[in-house]
Amino acid sequence: MSLLPTTRRGADAPVSMRLGPQPGEVIDRRRTIPFTWNGEDHRAFPGDTIASALAAAGVRVFSRSYKYHRPRGLLTADYLDPGAFFQVGDEPNVRGAHRLVEPGMEVSSQNTWPSLKYDVKAVNQLAGRFLATGFYYKTFIKPEPLWPLYEKVLRRFVHAGAITPDPGEAFYDHRHAHPDVLVAGGGPAGMAAALAAARAGASVMLVEENHQLGGHLRWGDAADLAALGELRAQVAAETGIEVLTDSVVTGRYDDNWVGIAQRNLPGVAERLIKARAGTLVVAPGLIERPYVFAGNDLPGVMLSTAVRRLVNLYAVRPGQRAVVMSANPEGDLAVADLERAGVEVAAVLDARERRGVVRAHGRGGLRAVETNEGRRIEADLLVTATGWTAPTSLLNQSGDRPVYEPTAARFRPDPARMPDNVLAAGEIVGDATVEAIVEHADAVGREAARRAGRGGPAVTIPSLAPRPHPELFTAGTGGFVDLCEDVSAKDITTAVAEGYDSVELVKRYTTVTMGPTQGKLETVNAVALVAAATGKSIAETGTTTWRPVYAPVTLGALAGRPHEPVRHSPMQPWHDRHGATPLVAGQWIRPEHYGDPAAEVRAVRTGVGIIDVTPIGKLDLRGPDVPKLLNLLYVNKWSKLGLGRVRYGVMCAEDGVVMDDGVTGRLGEDHYLMSTTSSGAATVWEWVENWLQTAHPDWQVHVTPVTTAYASINIAGPRSRELLGRLTDVDLSADAFGYMNVRQGSVAGVDDCVLWRIGFTGELSYEIHVPASYGLHVWEQLMARGADLGVTPFGVEAQRILRLEKGHFIVAQDTDGLTQGYTAGIDGLIKLDKDDFVGLPELRWQRERDEHAHLVGVRPLDGSIVPPEASQILDSSGGIAGRITSSRMSPTLGRSIGLAQIDRELAAVGTRVTVRLPDGRDITVEITDAVHVDPEGERQRV
Amino acid sequence: MSSNNGHGGHSRYSAWSLVRHGLTPKSGWPRAWREHDLESSYDAVIIGGGVHGLATAYYLARDHGMRKVAVLDKAYIGSGGSGRNTAILRSNYLTPEGVRFYDRSVKLYEHLAADLNYNVMFSQRGHLTLAHNDSSLRTMHWRTEVNKLQGVDSSVIGPDEIKKLVPYLDTSADTRYPILGALYHPPGGIVRHDAVVWGYARGADAHGVHIHQQTEVTGIDVSHGRVTGVQTNRGPISTPVVLNATAGWATLISDMAGVSMPVQTFPLQAAVTEPVRPFLDTVVVSGTLHVYVSQTDRGELVFGASVDPFASYSMRGSLEFTEGIAGHVLELMPALHRMKLLRQWAGLCDMTPDYSPIMGPTPVEGFYVDVGWGTYGFKAGPVSGEAMAATLASGKPPEIISAFGLDRFTDGRLVGEKGAAAVGH
Amino acid sequence: MMLLPCPWCGPRNATEFRYVGEAGPRPDPASTTPEEWRRYLFMHANPCGPVKETWYHRAGCRRYLAVERDTATNEVRSAVDSATGVAR
Repeated sequence: MSLLPTTRRGADAPVSMRLGPQPGEVIDRRRTIPFTWNGEDHRAFPGDTIASALAAAGVRVFSRSYKYHRPRGLLTADYLDPGAFFQVGDEPNVRGAHRLVEPGMEVSSQNTWPSLKYDVKAVNQLAGRFLATGFYYKTFIKPEPLWPLYEKVLRRFVHAGAITPDPGEAFYDHRHAHPDVLVAGGGPAGMAAALAAARAGASVMLVEENHQLGGHLRWGDAADLAALGELRAQVAAETGIEVLTDSVVTGRYDDNWVGIAQRNLPGVAERLIKARAGTLVVAPGLIERPYVFAGNDLPGVMLSTAVRRLVNLYAVRPGQRAVVMSANPEGDLAVADLERAGVEVAAVLDARERRGVVRAHGRGGLRAVETNEGRRIEADLLVTATGWTAPTSLLNQSGDRPVYEPTAARFRPDPARMPDNVLAAGEIVGDATVEAIVEHADAVGREAARRAGRGGPAVTIPSLAPRPHPELFTAGTGGFVDLCEDVSAKDITTAVAEGYDSVELVKRYTTVTMGPTQGKLETVNAVALVAAATGKSIAETGTTTWRPVYAPVTLGALAGRPHEPVRHSPMQPWHDRHGATPLVAGQWIRPEHYGDPAAEVRAVRTGVGIIDVTPIGKLDLRGPDVPKLLNLLYVNKWSKLGLGRVRYGVMCAEDGVVMDDGVTGRLGEDHYLMSTTSSGAATVWEWVENWLQTAHPDWQVHVTPVTTAYASINIAGPRSRELLGRLTDVDLSADAFGYMNVRQGSVAGVDDCVLWRIGFTGELSYEIHVPASYGLHVWEQLMARGADLGVTPFGVEAQRILRLEKGHFIVAQDTDGLTQGYTAGIDGLIKLDKDDFVGLPELRWQRERDEHAHLVGVRPLDGSIVPPEASQILDSSGGIAGRITSSRMSPTLGRSIGLAQIDRELAAVGTRVTVRLPDGRDITVEITDAVHVDPEGERQRV
Repeated sequence: MSSNNGHGGHSRYSAWSLVRHGLTPKSGWPRAWREHDLESSYDAVIIGGGVHGLATAYYLARDHGMRKVAVLDKAYIGSGGSGRNTAILRSNYLTPEGVRFYDRSVKLYEHLAADLNYNVMFSQRGHLTLAHNDSSLRTMHWRTEVNKLQGVDSSVIGPDEIKKLVPYLDTSADTRYPILGALYHPPGGIVRHDAVVWGYARGADAHGVHIHQQTEVTGIDVSHGRVTGVQTNRGPISTPVVLNATAGWATLISDMAGVSMPVQTFPLQAAVTEPVRPFLDTVVVSGTLHVYVSQTDRGELVFGASVDPFASYSMRGSLEFTEGIAGHVLELMPALHRMKLLRQWAGLCDMTPDYSPIMGPTPVEGFYVDVGWGTYGFKAGPVSGEAMAATLASGKPPEIISAFGLDRFTDGRLVGEKGAAAVGH
Repeated sequence: MMLLPCPWCGPRNATEFRYVGEAGPRPDPASTTPEEWRRYLFMHANPCGPVKETWYHRAGCRRYLAVERDTATNEVRSAVDSATGVAR
């Protein structure tokens, strides 16, 4: 039972299971490397996986199972092994039968308490009959308030490794590749296909999940090893092949975009390769399928391939006394391997002769095997070789729907459904001798190169049929279908009986195939059980969808190195040196303020301030049809914009919703400079191009984005003329350079500057656009030459206050995704008498309907209260009548002011309304004109 | 609740019944829902066996006494968005209409397990929407204020409180996207999505509804401006009432009835990681980074993002989705870099111009729609079922969905949910 | 990752482009009705199959392209310059 040791004391003393040298072993016996397992010191040979090193040391129990905390040993002895998930240092869920031991590794079993041997949660085994499938759905329903407590307990039972908040740095990377032919799988077929493609002139990438090329040849006999040696030598000699071992194709996406997780790169934890493959060759071989019977999860029950890997690759004796159930030649070879390894083979049950195992007995480990002929055989190792599963994921992702062939007891690709740029090679297609597999793959490789555009005649690919294999899925005695998820055969039949009778519903109800192996070991058995329970065939039942990723990939590798672009103006170093608080505004980093935004406001109102407005979007427009374009995109009129004049405009979308605003100046006969909001710069550029290219390709307008070609500085305040005048050759006198005019000239010795006289802040101000590389110079000159004037740099926050005092709205702050033109209060700007402009009909109907909300000024009666932005305005019945969109304390007026969107009925100036503050208090605010300071606009016109 | 009445042929689920079944292993559970022959006529036919269709059938049979109801699904129940979403529930919407509607849904979810006698595992672990810049923080305040006025528990909290709720979040100020604050919504959480589907199916079945899987609608019969039946791969059905509840496939069905709808189908992708021990209690959403994250009771992290950048019916998923989501998750929680993505998938979303659903009658009499759910459909399952059942039974949509009619697009009265909806999970 | 055969730049990753969608004919603003205009705004074909739509090659030639694509498979059948009709 659960609290007993998992192996007998006394017999528990570690016995070395390491064999003498094996012909194909991958370990290096010349030295050993230390690591720890659950705190105990161990040693491994280089080349050992964690699991092989532990198995060599006599460890039989590696983990506790998901739901019932049953002891588990090795099943497959490869990447998929559900019994060998370990915590390695701060890395959870390490595939212990794949990961190589590294010096000093701290390996522990996951989710066992207090220890692997004495796991208290194994009481779940006792309760097992009550924890059957659907358990959670049927219980903890009432009383309702207790469910959160139950849930907390459930979460304690989560079966997994742990992460830590501070795991340290690791380096990840991305790479792009464009191989003509990408071969997924480095067994004999993959190697042969890669060679043929490369010899046909293709650039080839050969990707193998294991640490060495060779597939099953690696654990084969002398002939296999000789063939492997020959293929490896040829691959190594072929310069057109790039070999990636310990790497795996994770998914095939549209147009042969292929993801590869590369794990063998020194210094890189994992690298994601994104390959645009000409042709993808899928050559993954076959995965051995477990057999389902009572006790099939006991430590000591293994697949034939696991035994062959342990013996031949790692020189590990997998047990002392074995029973082998074999339905195929590979199983028979495992018998030979066992005998060579000195394992006593107590019985071979030939499944082709309908002999087989029905139950495995033992507690904490296999003790005896019960056969279908009623024999009970003492053994600590039971080997099954009952069939194969074709890992068709990449083919499914390519559009293929593999077809079940009962005579071969496995699914096979359906070439008719595969796109031209995907081919399958090797055992996934059919079975044959190594020579015939190589011959088939050679043809596939040549055809792959041809389809990738490397020329040559069409290749006839020889047929490769699967050999007959008995259909062996379950002994019908129960047992586990999914060792990752602890899903039993009975769970499957129960689910079907309860009405969850399609394979997808069974998957979701029982969680079969949803664990870390993602169904590679489990799906076909589950399908067979569903088919049996529903009375349908396996072909009719079908499989669940094989989704990416084929093998788990770290988030680090997927993310790669972070490349989040940041934009800043040429003056940012100055801002940084002068204590600017940074503000993240989209991609831009800008100064929010330099310490005291209110002081910055006062400086602008009384003296002069300068602000870096480089992020403002700027489009250089040239051509005779620019006025047509402006007339179309802006709601106001543009045909009569004189040379040297600047005009403000608002753009609406076709639904009448305000999308952008800015000024445009006419620099020459056919030359204009348009400005946009900072956040709208990219959108407006694409918008302009859209109208020009798709609606009016005949218009002659050339658009050049110049946002970052210019550094932009606004010089604002009553003394701005005086300051700028010291630096420019442009005549700034009121007569020569009036409000809403544009001039070009030099500033601080820099030629080709554009000067706009505009007034976002409400003060006399000049916005200058200087060639970007001189931006810092001009800024520093302004600061130096204006020192006696008290020139003050100001940031975005002061600008927000200044514009709010002046009643200018900000698109997307004071407007939202449904704010149409008349709501924004630009009634005077909208010219419905124009023949056309974007959004015209909607604005016409908005005005006709006259039901819209209004953007208004607001002032709290108590001017010391600044209602937070987004505070809601209530109507007399407590409903929402609007909201405060902008709100600040005005340094100029010494009181709080704001803008608000409010229902039409309450929008009249002088109306008093209730505002609910976030803290729950209600205050009264009065509706005012939007312009709080200098409503006549005299200050900006001086 | 009257669910007890309906379970005549059913075995009630409880801890005790579970023990009883455990002790007597031969006594199997009955089918959760039964199979039926396709009848030649039904009082109402609901197309789409997702949570919306099944919930509508359940309430229609339970509350409106309409028993001859068929739910048709071209595959298996829950095979569409209901089984592919990230199972996040919340009601912290932006518009009063949206908040009221989803609040009703959350309240129905809170008692759904008891109502359906099926544990849907609603875990109200709290929901955080992070703000990384001024404008999103302003939107969080806006949503909070609207929520509070509708009686919904929301507040804006600062980085220190956020750090307490989610210690793995990097709340330092020097990141590329610093966390300035968050909209905290304690009633939000996650639910077991399949269980909601199955619970409604079982409940509907108990009230006499026929659930027909593998039954694909191939045509809708309309005569003199009213619906008379549907054609299926298993034969015709005559019926005076048809509901289109097919989400991503909605326009294909409505087109059969000659009803145009402002709906575009976009894939929405999601992914899970391998499980790790629980470390994340709340749902974390970042609109700026286009990501939402939660940890299931199994220990997996579930990731979602905004819909794919172009319309498609392909559910194959993309590598760039996983790259983007991983990058953004690590931006928020750098310590997760060793976690491994295990599986990705996609569902289809029926996007509307104003990110709000289309519910109610259409110009074809008897043909109703419950579509346009975009990325929010699962959250609205119970309330939509309740409201659509009332609509189908009376022919008139109830007040709670009156803002969501199809005619709003010709009247130009869109619902303003788009502002908060860039990534709204 | 879908490839779009840009007539100017050759086959490029879909992430270089911005999807614009179906662009129906724009009604005459002077004479249009709300019904007609809002059909133009909101009602777009949403077939599961071939569709004609607009894409913008924002990270390439910055041209708007008229693209034929199958929404069931994402297979792109053609892409021509919207303004000039130039095909590859």
